[in-house]
Amino acid sequence: MRMDGFKAIAIVAVLVVFAVFAGMLVIYFTNAVPAFHRFGIDVYLKNIWNAAEEPSREAYGIAAAIWGSFYTSLIAVLIVLPLSISYSIFVVDYAPKRLKNVIIILSDVMGGLPTIIYGIWGAFVLVPLLRDYVMQFLYDHLSFIPVFSYPPITGYSYLSAGILLAIMVTPFASAIIREAYEMIPYTYREAAYALGATKYEATKLLIGYIKPAILSGFILAFGRAIGETVAVSLVIGNTFNLTWKLFAPGYTISSLIANQFGNAFIYEYMTPVLYAAGVALFIIGLGINIIGLRFIRRWEENVKL
Amino acid sequence: MRFAIETVNLHIYYGSNHVIKGVNLQIPEKGVFALMGPSGCGKSTMLRTFNRLIELNEEARIEGEVKLFGKNIYSSDVDPIEVRKQVGMVFQYPNPFPHLTIYDNVAIGLKLNRLVSSKEEMDKRVEWALKKAALWDEVKDRLKDYPSSLSGGQRQRLVIARALAMKPKILLMDEPTANIDPVGTSKIEELLFELRKDYTIVLVTHSPAQAARISNYVGFLYSGELIEVGPTRKVFENPEHELTEQYVTGVLG
Repeated sequence: MRMDGFKAIAIVAVLVVFAVFAGMLVIYFTNAVPAFHRFGIDVYLKNIWNAAEEPSREAYGIAAAIWGSFYTSLIAVLIVLPLSISYSIFVVDYAPKRLKNVIIILSDVMGGLPTIIYGIWGAFVLVPLLRDYVMQFLYDHLSFIPVFSYPPITGYSYLSAGILLAIMVTPFASAIIREAYEMIPYTYREAAYALGATKYEATKLLIGYIKPAILSGFILAFGRAIGETVAVSLVIGNTFNLTWKLFAPGYTISSLIANQFGNAFIYEYMTPVLYAAGVALFIIGLGINIIGLRFIRRWEENVKL
Repeated sequence: MRFAIETVNLHIYYGSNHVIKGVNLQIPEKGVFALMGPSGCGKSTMLRTFNRLIELNEEARIEGEVKLFGKNIYSSDVDPIEVRKQVGMVFQYPNPFPHLTIYDNVAIGLKLNRLVSSKEEMDKRVEWALKKAALWDEVKDRLKDYPSSLSGGQRQRLVIARALAMKPKILLMDEPTANIDPVGTSKIEELLFELRKDYTIVLVTHSPAQAARISNYVGFLYSGELIEVGPTRKVFENPEHELTEQYVTGVLG
């Protein structure tokens, strides 16, 4: 093909974008090097945060933040999954056509909102609500169960972060699952009912048919939840805890970076450690997205039957 | 005489579209009844009234009666699920559930309706149904595989086994060979020959040749009206209606 003006501009634009991205990765890895050099793999495996003016007394390990990222995201997807499956069934099977379009648009809008909007609402409304009506109740009556045994004093906690993340991430998982559920060929629906299935049984059977799509929705939702920053840092409590206890405050990788970044320049090793945290987040996000996309692709191949 | 299926002044509408226009049809017990006609004449629609599957389409409206063994299945005290348990169905596109194993595809109807009480009974019934559908020898060593490993014809016989497993009295078949290669088609036709001894089979087909080959009785449906009905031989050799003659000789459709 001939090289025309537009093609040249487009190629340059694409190259610039990827060059910036590649450069960013390089910066991340090189700037993280002093942290790896000084603390080794312990920077990921230990839970310690000693900021000291004297570099020799500095010690950092972001295990609590890594744990918090996984734990809050896990709480989120466990809530997201039943929500988005019910949403899909309602939209496809029950909602009248007009309502259906409204719901889908609304859901897309929810997915596109700036996350700080969720964060403010989470900090001022959701957290006190959860603390007074959910956590306090569970703590009063069920605190013999270890996950409920932390006294919910502020309400800023893994649970609050997980629930807020669930609200934010549901639109994404819902879109994937809804599309898959809608794509089920009509003949399978007929087959299920022709066998004498009730509406519930037929729906269950068809949900089984899109299990791989549900799994990939699950994984992609997890990926989004783990990368979320602003909203989470407003409700997680930002404390170096490493525990299963749902009502305890904690950290996530991204909330750690957002919180510590402001004064990191004071210390010799804190900035490299935050870069190392960024590297961890990048690797986790990449891994999760690759796994999710893989499942979607495998599912598409299976459906071709 | 008691009929397996009888329709009394059956009308079907899709919205304002009048699809079946006052059909009175009697289908005797046992044997293959072929419902033939050109595409779009309403035969698949009519077939779906015999197990009330038509109700999945919210636009569909039914008037008149459909009686199975003398009982009107559209009377208000009848549960469509009970009807569907007694009427097996095979579709135009072979549709075993791709996410269930071969075994589970046969067992699914039994599981849904809790028709067997033990694992042994289930194994027996699955084997029985697969044998009845002439598929057992081909799949007995890979019951745990998924249907994607089967050919189109095998998948369709798996669907037949799935329907037979529930021991229905009536089997509805909506152009079961339309998407199957010639070898698979002749296997399914052989199978129908075997099954017609024990079951009432309603076979929808757009091919007069297929109707002639395997049916005992035939009905000719043309733009929503039942033009002619009778023993296959008679209808093909000595049609009463001009349209029927044109259709069976291939001038029409």
